[in-house]
Amino acid sequence: MKWLIFNIALLLLLLPSNMEAQDSLYIEHLQKYHTTWERLIPRHYKLQFAGSMGFLSFGPGWEYGKHHHWETDILFGFVPKYDSSDNKITFTIKENYIPWNKKLNQYFGIEPLTVSIYTNSILSGKYWVNEPNKYPGGYYGFSTRVRLNLALGQRFVFYVPDKYRKYNKAISFFYELGTTDFYIVSAFTNHYLKMKDILHLSLGLKMQVF
Amino acid sequence: MIKLIDIALPIIFILASCSAFEYQPYDGRISGESGINKKNIALIEKNCADRDTFRFAVISDTQRWYDETQDFVSVLNKRNDIDFVIHGGDISDFGVTKEFLWQRDILSHLKVPYVVLIGNHDCLGDGDEIFEKVFGQPNFAFTAGKVKFICINSNALEFDYSNPIPNFDFIESQLDTTDIKNHKTIFAMHARPYSDQFNNNVAKIFEYDIRRFPNLLFCLSAHDHKLEADDLFGDGVMYYASANIAKRSYLVFTIYKEGYKYEVVNF
Repeated sequence: MKWLIFNIALLLLLLPSNMEAQDSLYIEHLQKYHTTWERLIPRHYKLQFAGSMGFLSFGPGWEYGKHHHWETDILFGFVPKYDSSDNKITFTIKENYIPWNKKLNQYFGIEPLTVSIYTNSILSGKYWVNEPNKYPGGYYGFSTRVRLNLALGQRFVFYVPDKYRKYNKAISFFYELGTTDFYIVSAFTNHYLKMKDILHLSLGLKMQVF
Repeated sequence: MIKLIDIALPIIFILASCSAFEYQPYDGRISGESGINKKNIALIEKNCADRDTFRFAVISDTQRWYDETQDFVSVLNKRNDIDFVIHGGDISDFGVTKEFLWQRDILSHLKVPYVVLIGNHDCLGDGDEIFEKVFGQPNFAFTAGKVKFICINSNALEFDYSNPIPNFDFIESQLDTTDIKNHKTIFAMHARPYSDQFNNNVAKIFEYDIRRFPNLLFCLSAHDHKLEADDLFGDGVMYYASANIAKRSYLVFTIYKEGYKYEVVNF
């Protein structure tokens, strides 16, 4: 009997504390798990017109770095077929560097310079990353699928006042002036090609969720 | 919301028509003149009609050599003895839409009409479709004086069996034309037999097939980026290749009633 009481007492004594310890560890892990994945929630969405990545492109993106100087966007673009036989879907991974962010007043701000580097791929079997095996090694020596682009731009930010906020805390309009690897190598060896031939303009909206 | 769309659509439409906006290098958005070969063939056939003697220049592989192509145009425009120009293909390097348009814009300054054959680089991506729209069919034929020019797509490596290259049915159809017996024939192609692009399984059959044409004069090719003059099959049929335009040379062929002569011109 004495032994039984001792055991029950011990159990009562240990069990809650034991449970508590397990519980807090679990919650701690769960919180870590949540915060890790929360970082992957897109902070903004972008809609971009032209820019050698599609007629229109749309996709999520993330800011990071100490003052959110860095941004990564993932965009899907649509290119109508025009004089070719198929519409095309493209995929873009875009890295932006925004060195300055100037708030003019409570409503407006300006980002005087954006530097972007991005790859754009046509999602179609007709376009290859590496040459198909039918070609002798190094036959063409370039990929028809993946293009590397460089662009410089500016942004004008509108901070949505609290009472009008529905989905976004800020909306930016931006434009970019860029060029593509193929055009750079073409212009490099030809006086015939002028800046206006190889530069392309693009416009976009950035919708800042949080 | 409807109001916003009313405003946004016209704006998008105006922006879309502006050439500063590029959707994709391979977007296939063609502006300016198209159907070049058909228009120029009409001019060639008219200018050379019933003539026993005429003269044409051959260039090829002008891809990504815009300055040299421009120089060729100004050099040729100084001559008055050339009736037309044949471009042996590879007008683009990457098959990118704008490349076709840039080259077209340079060659449009030629005083004489020109035709362009399709090269293997012109087939990359959707390039063959852009080529077809801007210049014309990959297989085509025209008549200058008493000579029939049969221009074929020989870039077999770029296609599979769903697209027969060389297209023997097309060649056959040219043999069937009623006046073929009164004509000499010149075959023109980008890649000649036994080059890496040609369907070499049928190289001998191709040679056999084209020799059925009465009065076969010779064949023209390009692709190898060097001047070539070879009796490829040892049967007396000569294959002449022009060098790429970066070598700054072109070929001139003079057709006489009794035969022909050719020369290489450096510029």
